[in-house]
Amino acid sequence: MHSDIAFWQVLLLTLYSMYQTIDDITIVSSLAQPVWAGLITGLIMGDLGTGLVIGGSLQLTVLGVGTFGGASKIDANSGTILATAFSISAGMNAQTAVAAIGVPVASLMIQTDILGRFTNTYFQHRIDRLIEAENYRGIERNYLYGMIPWALSRGIPVFLALQFGGSFVSSVVKVLNTDLQWLSNGLATAGALLPAVGFAILLRYLPARKHVGYLILGFTITALFSTLFTNVQTLGTAVAKVSKGFTQSFNTVSMLAIALIGLTFAINEYKHQVELQKQQPAAPKQQDDEEGEIYGDED
Amino acid sequence: MATKTDYKLKKKDFRQVNRRNLFGNQLGWNYEKMQGSGYLFIILPQLRKLYGDHTPELKAAMKAHNQFFNTNPYVNTMITGIDLALEEKEGIGSLETVSGLKTGLMGPFAAIGDSIFASLIPAIMGAIAANMAIQKNPFGLLLWLIVNFIVMYIRWIQLPLAYKEGTNLVTRMRGQLSALTDAAILLGVYVVGALVATLVNVKVPFVAHIGKVTVDLQNEIDMILPKLVPAVIVALIYWLLGKKKMTSTKAIFIVIVVAVVCSALGILGKAS
Repeated sequence: MHSDIAFWQVLLLTLYSMYQTIDDITIVSSLAQPVWAGLITGLIMGDLGTGLVIGGSLQLTVLGVGTFGGASKIDANSGTILATAFSISAGMNAQTAVAAIGVPVASLMIQTDILGRFTNTYFQHRIDRLIEAENYRGIERNYLYGMIPWALSRGIPVFLALQFGGSFVSSVVKVLNTDLQWLSNGLATAGALLPAVGFAILLRYLPARKHVGYLILGFTITALFSTLFTNVQTLGTAVAKVSKGFTQSFNTVSMLAIALIGLTFAINEYKHQVELQKQQPAAPKQQDDEEGEIYGDED
Repeated sequence: MATKTDYKLKKKDFRQVNRRNLFGNQLGWNYEKMQGSGYLFIILPQLRKLYGDHTPELKAAMKAHNQFFNTNPYVNTMITGIDLALEEKEGIGSLETVSGLKTGLMGPFAAIGDSIFASLIPAIMGAIAANMAIQKNPFGLLLWLIVNFIVMYIRWIQLPLAYKEGTNLVTRMRGQLSALTDAAILLGVYVVGALVATLVNVKVPFVAHIGKVTVDLQNEIDMILPKLVPAVIVALIYWLLGKKKMTSTKAIFIVIVVAVVCSALGILGKAS
């Protein structure tokens, strides 16, 4: 259990943390999402599995958290990078790392995000002046400089934490595994529980109230089937141990199949809504009035 | 009253606007004007062609487009398309209309774009990808990447579309979009229900010994309804989020603290 992260790993992870910030505000390829952060950090650190588990857990935690109107959101991507890197290098349990490193880092990074957005105001002012000077190249250049505060808002803290935080984290891990075993277990439980927060946030946002029946349907079908499939699997493994002739293996429940059932209802709902709009010419008219306000300046 | 140069926008121009939008849209985001300078940056080459360099018209246009602007970054070029069509036809005389249009449209566009592109797609794709990732399967991530490339394609083609159709487009698509959003919310809610039943892996390890009878509490709960514990927990957090002054970040920390305490008391534990 050696706690060192090689310098090239620190460098690559820092570069990735800077790239993902820019990706998320421009092309949005999904590479800036916690699951990808987990995969990439896992690859760099040499343990893909741990990366995927930590990335997946943090992805679920922030499932319903979005940025709207420029509000800073909890930065689960950077949280995943540090949690994965330290979990692998210091030998911390993946679920424990989610709660002990991932979440605190993710919420601390809100501050550097705010700082980055604030710094960009400086370039905005320069653009204001360059418009007066009719310096077209200068406007474009100063606009593109905006990517520097963005990238550094993640790059600097990630670099510092990876470079200097290693020994601290490994001593914490040592205590967690010995004297504070109860805390370690508790944090692992918290890690397993965190997706529930993501689901609740999402239900608040969606909002769930209108389709609450489908929430119950999705839950019940899955609860029954997953219990059934898991039990069959357990049974299969047990039988296979007793009888050598028994070679049948069983899979877990297919989430795709369960999603397809939901898709059926969604397609019906879409058709129903379109029909409704055709039947009620009064309703679109009302919308027109509403839009009249918006386009008021056009005439 | 067309512009002095009488320039007509070409395919090349749309490509340039799209490129600048995809790779530079929010780089200059700041608290004062938000996407303001970004809007100007994206269409600056076209403004120069329409009004001509070093003319008072160009300066007026640049100032008009360097004002506060903020909308959903997936549908913003629809506004840009409508704007460019107007400015090409009416020239500097349209600037007031265009400014009104931008301010008037950014709210409704943010609402549509945020609910579909910034919430539903990441929620559904994120749930699928995370679900697979926890089983150490990276395939879901690839799927997400593909979906986002399709979204980029939509972002690319909407600009010339909005330029041609103008404001009619918004009216025409509004009904379909609201039906689509409604159906997508239904699917989202259903999937969350399914995820609650599979991905909240906690159980009640509490075993009571009453005389000679041993009561395994988790077993009793399973008899009522399997996965009842995760459902109750999600319901509790849902209720918690409805409290005044509650933010998602605060809720996450409260859950961590409560989980650690409950785990130490032996009420909650991680399911294998």
